[in-house]
Amino acid sequence: MLEKVYDVFARKDRGDQLVHIGYVDAMDDETAKVHAWTTYDEERWFEMCVVERTAIVPVNRDDGPFAKARRAADHD
Amino acid sequence: MTDVLDVASLDADGRRALERLILTLADSKRLLGIRYSDWLLGAPSIETGIATSSMAQDEWGHARLVYAMLKDLDIDPVTVEHDRSPEEYASVGALDAEMPDWAALVAAMVLVDGALTTALASFAEGTLESARGRVPKMLAEEEFHASLGAAWYRRLAESGGDARRLLVEATEAMLPDVLAWLGADDAPARAMVDAGVIGPADELVSAFRDRVRDVVALADIDVDGTTASTGWDEARGRTPGHPDEHAVERVRGDKNRALFVE
Repeated sequence: MLEKVYDVFARKDRGDQLVHIGYVDAMDDETAKVHAWTTYDEERWFEMCVVERTAIVPVNRDDGPFAKARRAADHD
Repeated sequence: MTDVLDVASLDADGRRALERLILTLADSKRLLGIRYSDWLLGAPSIETGIATSSMAQDEWGHARLVYAMLKDLDIDPVTVEHDRSPEEYASVGALDAEMPDWAALVAAMVLVDGALTTALASFAEGTLESARGRVPKMLAEEEFHASLGAAWYRRLAESGGDARRLLVEATEAMLPDVLAWLGADDAPARAMVDAGVIGPADELVSAFRDRVRDVVALADIDVDGTTASTGWDEARGRTPGHPDEHAVERVRGDKNRALFVE
């Protein structure tokens, strides 16, 4: 079972914007949640989300990490 | 809402039974934290090591909170935490030795941590007021432990080869001890059930089997067909034996005792 890349988004307070704070490698959604919560624990986050990188749809660039992940997934 | 236990109303046997219950939970949490901490730098990935570190911290924090419940019995938890010999520890037998490999630690996540969470869930719904207040937050943190344990168990079980073999061996070694610990049905255990502090042994074991059945089945282990270890130490509420001396030295903080400021 290969690990996948998940991007981590969080906000500190209810009214804040959800921002990208990093990424984790994980086997599946459940492990990604654990890894994200324990890795990025420097704040008391109001909300944290993870999204598998291949689910992100690039809009204006095809040379970044998100586009590369998408292309690799399309070829699988 | 269940009535609150008046601890002062317990007789001597009841007080000893409550002390034993608190120690079986707190000592197991403390030892599990030690076993997790052994793998901070040896886990299969950085993220998993960080998660294991977080779980070790959780377990030590939980242990501290459960030890503090001894104050309900006018027992000083500081002495209990720092001055006992290994032979006095009431931790579940499956934690007596260090985990020889990652597969064994994963088995402990599912079985030992799972049994502790099962017991604590019942404890939180019982009549001891301090448990009602403190345990629910522990149970919320334990959800992450369960997720990580189940995911790794699945991965190792499905990988075959040595990983699966080690997982099966660790599960078969730990499960009988865990069932014996959780299924304690002697006089002190029944006293706590009668006082409404925790649910009866058969309910706890049944809830535990439900919790882990599908997970251990991935390694072709039948939790319903596994029986508890024989042999019982009623004074401590566990199977005979004790944790290794080195682990208890770390638990007590012997190395830095000169710096002890609590």
